[in-house]
Amino acid sequence: MAQCVQSVQEFIQDSFVPMVAVLCSEDAEKVTRKNNLNFSELLRPFCRLTSEGHMRDPNNQVQVVKNLRISVNNVVTRPSVPASGVPGHAHRRLLSEVVLTCQPAEGGVANVITAGDYDLNISATTPWFEAYRESFLQSMPASDHEFLNHYLACLLVVSSSEAVPVEKFLKLSQEQHRIQHSGEYTNPKWFIPNTLKYYVLLHDMSQGDEQRADSVYEDMKQRYGAQGCYLLKVNSRTAAAGADEQIPDPWSQYLHKSSLQSQDQYEDPAPVVVNDTAVENNVGGTSEVDGHDSEEKDGVLVNSLDNTHPLQLDTPSDPPGSLDALRAVAVETKPPPVATGMAAATSHGACLTLNDHDRIRLFIQEFTFRGLLPHIEKNIRQLNDQLVSRKGLSRSLFSATKKWFGGGKVPEKSIAELKNTSGLLYPPEAPELQIRKMADLCFLVQLYDLAYSCYHTAKKDFLSDQAMLYAAGALEMAAVSAFLQVGAPRPYPAHYMDTAIQTYRDVSMNMVLAERCALLSAEVLKSQAKYSDAATLLIKMTSEDSDLRSALLLEQAAHCFINMRNPMVRKFAFHMILAGHRFSKAGQKRHALRCYCQAMQVYKGKGWSLAEDHINFTIGRQSFTLRQPENAVTAFRHILTNDKNPITTLKQPFHNVALPQLPLPCINSSATRVYFGHERRLAEGEKQAATHVSLDQEFDRDLAAMWQDLEEQVVAAAKRGVVPATFQPTQCCLNSQTDNLRFPLAVVEEPIIVEVVFRNPLKVPLVLSDLTLLWKFTLKDFNRPQPQEDSVGDVVAISNEKDARLKLLPHQTGQLNILGLVYNLASTSSTGDTTINTAEGTSVRGRQDLEIQGPRLNQTKEEKTSVSHGPDRRLDPTITPPMPLLEVFFLQFPTALLCGEIRKAYVEFCNVSRVTLCGLRVASTHPDFFTFGSSSLATPLTPLSPTSFENCSAYKTLATPPGVSGAGTGGKGVTEIPLGEGTLKPGESTQLPLWLRGPDQEGVHEIHFLFYYESAEKGGKIRVLRHTVFICASRSLSVRATACRSNTLPEEEERKEGRNSSMLVFVDVENINSSEAGVREFHIAQVSSSSKQWRLHKCINPAEDKESLFSLMPVFNFCFSVPSKAVEKYTFADLSLGNELIITSTTPCADFFFRRCQPLESLRLPVAMETQGRHSRSQGVGHGDGAKDIAGVVRKCNEVELDIIILWKAFVVEDNKQVILEGQLHVALQTIDKEACSMTQKEEAQEMVLLKFKPELPPPMTRPSMEQLSHLIKTNLHYPESYSHPFNQKSLCMVPVTLTLSNCSLAQVDVIIDLRHKTTSPESLEVHGSFTWLGQTQFKLQLRAQEVMRVQLRACFLHAGVYNLGTPRVFAKLADQGAMCETSQQTATPALIIIINST
Amino acid sequence: MEHTQSRDACWHSRHHSKMAVCIAVIAKENYPLYIRSVPVQNELKFHYTVHTSLDVVEEKISAVGKAMADQRELYLGLLYPTEDYKVYGYVTNSKVKFVIVVDSSNTSLRDNEIRSMFRKLHNSFTDVMCNPFYNPGDTIQSKAFDSMVSAMMVQAS
Repeated sequence: MAQCVQSVQEFIQDSFVPMVAVLCSEDAEKVTRKNNLNFSELLRPFCRLTSEGHMRDPNNQVQVVKNLRISVNNVVTRPSVPASGVPGHAHRRLLSEVVLTCQPAEGGVANVITAGDYDLNISATTPWFEAYRESFLQSMPASDHEFLNHYLACLLVVSSSEAVPVEKFLKLSQEQHRIQHSGEYTNPKWFIPNTLKYYVLLHDMSQGDEQRADSVYEDMKQRYGAQGCYLLKVNSRTAAAGADEQIPDPWSQYLHKSSLQSQDQYEDPAPVVVNDTAVENNVGGTSEVDGHDSEEKDGVLVNSLDNTHPLQLDTPSDPPGSLDALRAVAVETKPPPVATGMAAATSHGACLTLNDHDRIRLFIQEFTFRGLLPHIEKNIRQLNDQLVSRKGLSRSLFSATKKWFGGGKVPEKSIAELKNTSGLLYPPEAPELQIRKMADLCFLVQLYDLAYSCYHTAKKDFLSDQAMLYAAGALEMAAVSAFLQVGAPRPYPAHYMDTAIQTYRDVSMNMVLAERCALLSAEVLKSQAKYSDAATLLIKMTSEDSDLRSALLLEQAAHCFINMRNPMVRKFAFHMILAGHRFSKAGQKRHALRCYCQAMQVYKGKGWSLAEDHINFTIGRQSFTLRQPENAVTAFRHILTNDKNPITTLKQPFHNVALPQLPLPCINSSATRVYFGHERRLAEGEKQAATHVSLDQEFDRDLAAMWQDLEEQVVAAAKRGVVPATFQPTQCCLNSQTDNLRFPLAVVEEPIIVEVVFRNPLKVPLVLSDLTLLWKFTLKDFNRPQPQEDSVGDVVAISNEKDARLKLLPHQTGQLNILGLVYNLASTSSTGDTTINTAEGTSVRGRQDLEIQGPRLNQTKEEKTSVSHGPDRRLDPTITPPMPLLEVFFLQFPTALLCGEIRKAYVEFCNVSRVTLCGLRVASTHPDFFTFGSSSLATPLTPLSPTSFENCSAYKTLATPPGVSGAGTGGKGVTEIPLGEGTLKPGESTQLPLWLRGPDQEGVHEIHFLFYYESAEKGGKIRVLRHTVFICASRSLSVRATACRSNTLPEEEERKEGRNSSMLVFVDVENINSSEAGVREFHIAQVSSSSKQWRLHKCINPAEDKESLFSLMPVFNFCFSVPSKAVEKYTFADLSLGNELIITSTTPCADFFFRRCQPLESLRLPVAMETQGRHSRSQGVGHGDGAKDIAGVVRKCNEVELDIIILWKAFVVEDNKQVILEGQLHVALQTIDKEACSMTQKEEAQEMVLLKFKPELPPPMTRPSMEQLSHLIKTNLHYPESYSHPFNQKSLCMVPVTLTLSNCSLAQVDVIIDLRHKTTSPESLEVHGSFTWLGQTQFKLQLRAQEVMRVQLRACFLHAGVYNLGTPRVFAKLADQGAMCETSQQTATPALIIIINST
Repeated sequence: MEHTQSRDACWHSRHHSKMAVCIAVIAKENYPLYIRSVPVQNELKFHYTVHTSLDVVEEKISAVGKAMADQRELYLGLLYPTEDYKVYGYVTNSKVKFVIVVDSSNTSLRDNEIRSMFRKLHNSFTDVMCNPFYNPGDTIQSKAFDSMVSAMMVQAS
């Protein structure tokens, strides 16, 4: 329970005070009426006695009565609360009003309670509860089982202006007697039959004759005794004199409530007329009487009274949550009209001076000490005597009767049975009631010891009689008086209270009494710091019948929890919520809101989001109904943003429009994307624009890296091979994954598009309209003055779905900051067309800031240990001066190609800016895919219409000089685009032919182009344009080629030309396109070669017809002889199989060949080094660089650098038309006797790469393999094919054989020829006849590089037959490698000789 | 706030056969790691109930002296009965709280059963903690834990 102003003792004492009734004559009423008070009201501020009184107890001991208060009330004959114990409607409303008007002061003192990790701001006092309690206890109905609030005395008041005051006194006295004894009225109740009558003569100083009053008083003293009457002189101030004098008004604090109370006590609007003589006394409400009096002069007051009719004012408690409650609340929140009426009309006590106040005080004191206390004392003594005398007899008598008639034992009776007896009523004079009466009297005059013993006795009696209600009453008071006893001889019997409450509630069904009991008990428990018990007690008292009571008690229970030694914060919060709920049900919205707010402190930010949301929602709703929209917004915003970080609402002073920050819809600010660039034409007729970047594309990290790589390549190419240190890749579209650390660049007059992603967390559709961007612009000049333009930007809403795209067009250079969004927010009233509804429905214009948190920093140690975020400059573009802007269009660009197919397309470059551009380059992921024609030649050759050149061979349209091809100009994948003069002027466009060659691998290829260009102005910035195409490649031909060393020796004349060897190239062409329906047949049009050493010589074609049809024969063999030729330049040799010869070197064919070679070149790097080594040696510089060289030398002799180019034509049926497609395939021959295929790359690609965890071992190249070494020397046997010999003449046949040795390598080679060597291979053993070599059988020779040596041998045959002469074994080793073993050289093919017997 | 309707017997009787009506895991810092309740429409109420029960848990823990804290039994027993429910508590050594709310009308549940439920809950919770991908302090989103809780909340066998 919260702290109270009063102490417990004071509180209990004040709860039970002697009651004094007032009966007043009409004239006396008029006297007091001058002060806007009736008589009882006049006395009320002075009812607490400041001095001590004395009285004797029955044992004649003098007892001090301290701080006594009496209660003076008009006689009201209607019960304020029905006897049933259920408070009436008016009564409830009174209490509700009391609570409602008592609100916590704004900014009132709040205690900070720290419990665990909670710091709570809680108001320590709850004045509304005390106010409620006070009015509740004051309005307790008098009941029969107790006498505490029965009237003890009656003041009979008569004015001195009365003609015969004594007669009037008599009349009033009779009236009192009639009310008490006639049995006509059950209310009010009187304590004792002979009520003390105290006669008061009221004298108006301003009017009446004081002398006369004094004489009447003297008369009265004679008649009633000096202690039974009093002359009260009031109204000593004249109305005129008192105008400027300030007199304290002690009534205001009492009267506001009481006026309400007295008015409310009439449920029936009809005035209660008891009797013509007693009308005035029964009219309780001042204002009502006042209204009658002042009807003419004060119309406002009358009106207000009419309005404040009790039933009209009635505001039903609204169902919580109904927004309609707003109207009702508006009425409620107004100050009660009665009060206004009162305040406006009156100030109380206008005719009273301070002297008069003192007189009244004195009167009360006189009355109490001289009249009331002796009266009570006398009665206590009487009752005591009565009881003592009756005690022995009655007790036994009662118990005896009980035994005779009752039979069984009492305490075992069940509650159900007890209920039946609860209705038991004692007659007023029953001895049990006398004890109780005496106890009550003692209690009222603070004789608590005596009271306790009496209550205790009474309790026993009542219990034995099963008079449960009576017993409960006695128990309650026994407990209270036990508590109040001075020095506390016995502990407070809390169980008495519990029993009493339970009995009141369950047996008597009297909630009012139960509540009173609970309030008392709780207060007592609180004073003993038994908070837990108090809380339990209070919570038990909550019930469905009264929301207000439940709310107040729950709130007190909550305070109990927080005041415990170990504060139970969560219980506090929970009960506060329950209290708030009940308050709101009771219509006490402010109190409800306060409760929820207090509870919120506990739930806030602790992770209990469901509860937190609920409280926030309730707070929001309550605030809304209480017309506190700001608080409502705050609360509701919490719900919406609960899952996120607390948003920092920054107030930006430079906004001239102070629009409210809207919490809805949620903006996913990190998902905001910003696009810099103009709107490009996507297509123009048959032209197809470069894809570039658009907002519709998803961000792909790999792709972005790829583009960056391309850009680096192209920049490196443009800056002569060096990427500048300041290089930063261009970013056209910024999102959360891009690098946003730098201020992005935007170009003047090029739009900036901002895409904002909205999320609606509600299930209610929201309609946004009139979206605009909020931005700030700082003008900045770059080098030269800019023309001042009035408009800096305009904003257009583009879409309105989940993401909105807003466009901003800068007209000046400077720094732009995009700050937020402004929009109209409305919710759809129906599911109908939203666009219509927005116009009709109410909408709010507000803004939301776009604040993007940068990525978390994680570089330094500080950054790693703390959470800090980098900047995100996505929304802060710098507007730069104009830059060139390129648009690229493609014409006749295919989407599907055969592998190796050559297709011609056109590309158009268009400068749409006002700045000249230059340095146009393109980088691509597939540089072998395309090649450009020359612009100078292209212009006249550009077809007038694409169709006219449809069937024209790509090879014939243009003869590009070989030097033009960009292969040599830049980096790997960068091509300079041959523009006419190297620049493109504003508005100019150029069309270039573009040859495409289908990729060698089938499948879909994603090919990226990055066009690079820069401003022609000095220091011009670079820009890029991206393009991506997808090409579907399907299989065409597969070409396999093998090179073999020819065994024939070169002809003499050829040798002179420097050709010292020749090779055979076998080419197998296979149609692997069988599945393709469209392709009917392939023709091999031409075979070309490209090599620095070799050229195709002639076709040794076994097939008869020259034009071979592959459609019929899937695999086809060619055989070409390739004479060697040592030239340092690539030479093209063409062998046409068809009718026309295509000069390979001057067609795109060569371009593609070179482009295709480039990647291979890099693979061949070690070879290239070797080539250089060879050159140096041939110049005789020396050859001492050791073992490393050997491998190369050895390998060299096995190597051929020969590329075969197959040009083919395919006849394809497309749309019932035959189309001839052309294409070319490349086969690179590298090693003799090794098959190379046009599709090898693919196979290589499929090879698995082993994971290697160790550094690679040095390549084993230093030691050439046996196989490689076996190719050093080429051997050849020269002999006659058949030889006739007459064996019968000469038994020995000698045949001269020449063994030609030719050194293939480029180094000196030691050769050993062994003729005697017998092969161990089984095939050579088979030879029937053997022959022998004659003469020298072993030779040791040394061959210089590429030297040819002939050795003359003689073979000797004994028989005719066929012999294989290929037996000589040749071993070779490199001359300078002494340590090396000779390696057996490859044998030549079997050399058969036929020896014929010529007889 | 549905508290006052709590004495409505309508769903009260319908669910009495369930073992537990609400199971909650509360972090050391007293924020919920996991709360699940069976009648979904009363979720808020259970949140309040569990939150309020923490006061009693703290009271019970603090009642055990510092020295005795190691020997303290993890199971706290009945925290408090409300009109419709019984709230049981369990505190691990790392001060993680488990709260099980049982329907008052379910008289078949003995103390032993509640204990074994808590043990199961504790084991499953330990498994969650052992998951290297679980970030201590995050709300529990483990399917295994979920299904274990579901098993305790469905029909008693």
